[in-house]
Amino acid sequence: MKRRDILKEIALGGLALKFGPELLGGMRPPLPAQDKTGPDLAAVTGESPAAITRAAVEALGGMKAFVGRGDKVILKPNIGWDRTPEMAACTNPEVVATLAALALEAGAKDVVVMDNTTNQAKRCYVRSGIAEAAKQAGAKVLFTDDYRLKKTALGGAWLKEWEVFADFLETDKIINVPIAKVHSLSRLSMGMKNWLGAIGGARNQLHQKLDEAMVDLAAFFKPTLTVLDAYRILVANGPQGGRLSDTKLVKTVVAGRDPVAVDAMGATFFEIQPRELLYLRIAQERGLGTHELEKLTVEKRTV
Amino acid sequence: MKKEPSKKYRLIRTLRILSQAAFLGLFVYLLLVSHYTGEDYIKKPVDAFFHFDPLIALATLVAGRAFFAELWLAAATLFLTVLLGRVVCGWACPLGSIHQAFSFIFKKAKLLNPKREETASTGWKYLVLAAVVSGAVFTLNLAGFLDPMSFLVRSFTTAVLPAKAVVFSAVVRLLYGIHLPSLAQPLSQFLENLAVNAVFVQGFAIGILFIGAVLLNLWKERFWCRYLCPAGALLGLAARWNVLKLRIDQDACIKCGLCTQHCQTQAEPYPNPKWRSSECVYCATCAAICPTAAIGFPGSAKPESIKTIDVRKRRFVLASLVGLAAVPLFRITPARKRAHLKLIRPPGALPENQFLATCVKCGECMKACPTNGLQPTLAEAGPEGIWTPMLVPKIGYCEYYCSLCTQVCPTDAIRKLTIEDKTKVKIGTAWINKSRCIPYVLGRPCIVCEEHCPTSPKAIKLVMVQTQLPDGTVATQKAPVIDLDLCIGCGICENKCPVVDDPAIFVTSIGEQRSETNRLLLPVVGDEGEK
Repeated sequence: MKRRDILKEIALGGLALKFGPELLGGMRPPLPAQDKTGPDLAAVTGESPAAITRAAVEALGGMKAFVGRGDKVILKPNIGWDRTPEMAACTNPEVVATLAALALEAGAKDVVVMDNTTNQAKRCYVRSGIAEAAKQAGAKVLFTDDYRLKKTALGGAWLKEWEVFADFLETDKIINVPIAKVHSLSRLSMGMKNWLGAIGGARNQLHQKLDEAMVDLAAFFKPTLTVLDAYRILVANGPQGGRLSDTKLVKTVVAGRDPVAVDAMGATFFEIQPRELLYLRIAQERGLGTHELEKLTVEKRTV
Repeated sequence: MKKEPSKKYRLIRTLRILSQAAFLGLFVYLLLVSHYTGEDYIKKPVDAFFHFDPLIALATLVAGRAFFAELWLAAATLFLTVLLGRVVCGWACPLGSIHQAFSFIFKKAKLLNPKREETASTGWKYLVLAAVVSGAVFTLNLAGFLDPMSFLVRSFTTAVLPAKAVVFSAVVRLLYGIHLPSLAQPLSQFLENLAVNAVFVQGFAIGILFIGAVLLNLWKERFWCRYLCPAGALLGLAARWNVLKLRIDQDACIKCGLCTQHCQTQAEPYPNPKWRSSECVYCATCAAICPTAAIGFPGSAKPESIKTIDVRKRRFVLASLVGLAAVPLFRITPARKRAHLKLIRPPGALPENQFLATCVKCGECMKACPTNGLQPTLAEAGPEGIWTPMLVPKIGYCEYYCSLCTQVCPTDAIRKLTIEDKTKVKIGTAWINKSRCIPYVLGRPCIVCEEHCPTSPKAIKLVMVQTQLPDGTVATQKAPVIDLDLCIGCGICENKCPVVDDPAIFVTSIGEQRSETNRLLLPVVGDEGEK
């Protein structure tokens, strides 16, 4: 091998390392709007969180449309806070467990549930009820592990690189399972805000440009499916609430391929117009999806 | 006459070693489970070793003027000692076992060569005890410095376990580094579940003291137990009846002196009349190594004829005076006049003077704290309060739905609290440094403190603030303000503030609800009406 060839290879290797994750990201299934089979969004309302979750996924063509046989799947709920399900600070455990069961039924090899929590991880995992429910559904519930953090090129408009948990880089499919809550900076915390739990580092500095950070992260993680838990939403004292009176029962789950559309639909539960939310406007400009609900087919059901 | 060493006593020695290992294992186990295991209330008796410790009981009774329910367990230890002598020291005490294990190793390595006849006085520990008790009369609680359980738990919590945690996480990193995630991941998950706090401001110093105590065994076997341990001294005073009495078969004895040379605690088995029942810990070493099996411990119902402990009365009086003199000396400190701003005590802590009189500096609370925020004090609480707990929010905050520190405190210096009661306890007050806070000074958004504030409604409110920027423009941002009535001083705001080196929001002790003097606002009549 000639010296020049070696140099060339080193240069290519360097490029691959630098942009590798993006290339990998590009290899994930393209963004969903194209291979549209069912409605853009499914919003199912009902008494049982499990039943509405199941129905919402069915309305989009069933879990098999998203998860293939042998896939490694990560479910990313919001387990950020040491709060019980009634406080609506973390994703409803039944919604998470149902998705885990559906993914396994669809042939997933592995379903991992994890989140980088704010309070002590174990407390959040236990009190949210998510660890127990997801385990019973057959998922692996793992604490995020700082040694798995990888400085990753995000290719964002603002966030060029950040520390991402390798679990999210190595998986086949990511399903985002946020809960709908109010937040003092982005106004609402739903699917796109949820990615702050898939990264490490000084997350508290992202607040200086939170809306941009949320869009950059959402563009990077590209979930296969987003299922927004709006069974009980947090309408005050966000994002962790603390009293029952901070919450409101909406008893709805919204599912969709387009992460922008799911959050847009979620905004309506707070009587907020999607276009009022800066991060949704940026996301649409960036081509991440659309917040114009009137242009989408939404299947609404009650079970 | 040819004789073999006694099989019976060799077996007893083996049993004793097993017993020591079992108690040490139990001790470490109970310490390791002193944390959040998934349930809000710790059901295992994690402070049991303290409750069997009569020195802790005595200090709590005398210095703290307080009772706790488990006091009778310490009485049981005393009763057992009156009956059987210091078997607890020889068979159960985990610190004694550690000293003995190192003495054994040092002897095998020929680093410790015991003299045939030891002349050093074993009386020092009684003097330590005298000083502790006389100080306690004036509510000065010195027990925690040298009580074996306090010393051990403190050393393990702030030094030994953290050092192990550092090693284990290096192993995890190594395993990931050599691409063995199948080994690294379970280990890492296990460590996360074990939740060992690995950061302690005084970990190094306390660790050095622990190593020092262990290294003293190079000089004299079980140095701590012979010369220092005030709990051992208390048991030595109680050891009176000693149903099992050392007897040397004079016909078999070849006067080799091995028994006295290798006696762990310098109880001088040979010659028989010199044997000091108050020093004997019934380790059975003498009987097991005697080459002619001349030594035995036959039962005898007759109380032991009292051999005075190796302390002259004058020294005893002197030591008591030292304890008394220590009282004012320990109290030459501004800490008693004005609360230290950093001295944020755990929720449920008694008012400061009572707290100091009751806390035995064991560090159980620091072990149980889920965020590693509870740290040993150095100067903040004055010399009396060295190694008592305080919350350092920069390291860890007080977790809202947690009352573990209150549950594990062996002397109730931190009152037991339910989770619900704990959420209402105010331990300090948060303040904003507006010249460092991002929205106030840089005109950029942040709200991190508000987002983390756990109370509902939040104690941190956001108001719109205008900031003049260097280029003359004016930025308007949401900026935090504190509602003093709602703030409980948990410190999560300080912990999560992105201005990491010196957080722009910070908690000080003022307003702590346990204090009548360290307070801020008096309720003013008519306040309500004005609103």
